[in-house]
Amino acid sequence: MMESGLENQIFQPSDVLAHATPDVLASHLPAELLSKVLQASLAAGSMTPERVLETVTPEVMARHLPHEVLWACIAAAAARAGVTNTVVS
Amino acid sequence: MNLKGFFVTTLQTALDLQIATPDDILKHVTPDVLAEVLPRPLWARLLTACLGAPRVDATLVIETVGVPNLCEHVPAPLIWACIADIASRSLGRESTDEPIVLRPKATTMPPPPPQPSSSRSTPLTAPPPDVIARPPSPLASVPRGPSIPTPTATPAGTGTTSLNDIVAELEADAAREERISSAPPSRVRTPTQSRFRQSQTAGGVGRLAQNSARRPQAAAMTPTAPTMTPTPSRGARRGETEVEEAETETAVAKTGGEDWRSSLAVEDEQLVDWQSAEETVTTADDIGDRKR
Repeated sequence: MMESGLENQIFQPSDVLAHATPDVLASHLPAELLSKVLQASLAAGSMTPERVLETVTPEVMARHLPHEVLWACIAAAAARAGVTNTVVS
Repeated sequence: MNLKGFFVTTLQTALDLQIATPDDILKHVTPDVLAEVLPRPLWARLLTACLGAPRVDATLVIETVGVPNLCEHVPAPLIWACIADIASRSLGRESTDEPIVLRPKATTMPPPPPQPSSSRSTPLTAPPPDVIARPPSPLASVPRGPSIPTPTATPAGTGTTSLNDIVAELEADAAREERISSAPPSRVRTPTQSRFRQSQTAGGVGRLAQNSARRPQAAAMTPTAPTMTPTPSRGARRGETEVEEAETETAVAKTGGEDWRSSLAVEDEQLVDWQSAEETVTTADDIGDRKR
């Protein structure tokens, strides 16, 4: 679902990181993933949501992040798209 | 021992003074290390800062995490390796993995061992002369001749005092010569021995020459020794000639091999009959005239 929403541009990487905040990432991602994220950002000179999602792929998020966070991201995107009026915080 | 406080001060000061750069710290405190040791709240802060910053670099990471947090959570060997690397570079040395030396190494190199003489190069300066141990001479206990004064510790510029000693020694040596006249004259004057301190005796030898008791003796020996032949230049150089005259007595004593006093012996024909000679007759009138 996360991968499909990104491919179909239901939500953008920035929308993902709006829910999967750094606190969430830092709290749930394994250390090696955090290290990769930081290394990729230092090598590129910047840390963008796209670059983060290059490392923290939808599969990784689905594996390590709480599913409520991922669902809130999807529901918010659906609300923006006008699919539902339910506002997901 | 507040090791972490020391690390914090060191790293922070090095960063403030631009001795170290954040890259130097991240060279040792890699993201893998940070991922292992940093608490997740700090990671969250770091990720937030990185996502909001236009540029992510080591400076951002170090400033975001903070040196105190680094020193608090990163193992001490890693922090120390970072400090050592920075120090080595600051001292102009390459950062190597050589072990930490607690005691400073000797900065001076020991002198090289002596090489064989065939391959040894010529030194810039001449080596000091070898010490020649002279065998004890049988005449070592014999006092020096009258012309060679015994070196004394007379301070410079006090030529009068040394001349008095010389005169006294000359007179004493004359008496000793009689006692040691039986000794073989094997003693050879060495050119290295200074004859007289002419600079100091030039002014005082005049007083030596004024010794009226010794002047006739020196004049009487001139026919027997060729070295005592007076030269025309002697009168002009009074100071040195007086010294040489003093030496002629020694020369006579040495070259003659016998008592110099024996050379003064005269034949009976040379004696003057003072009573019969007219020029030596002294009358009472002459005495009276002289008294007047």
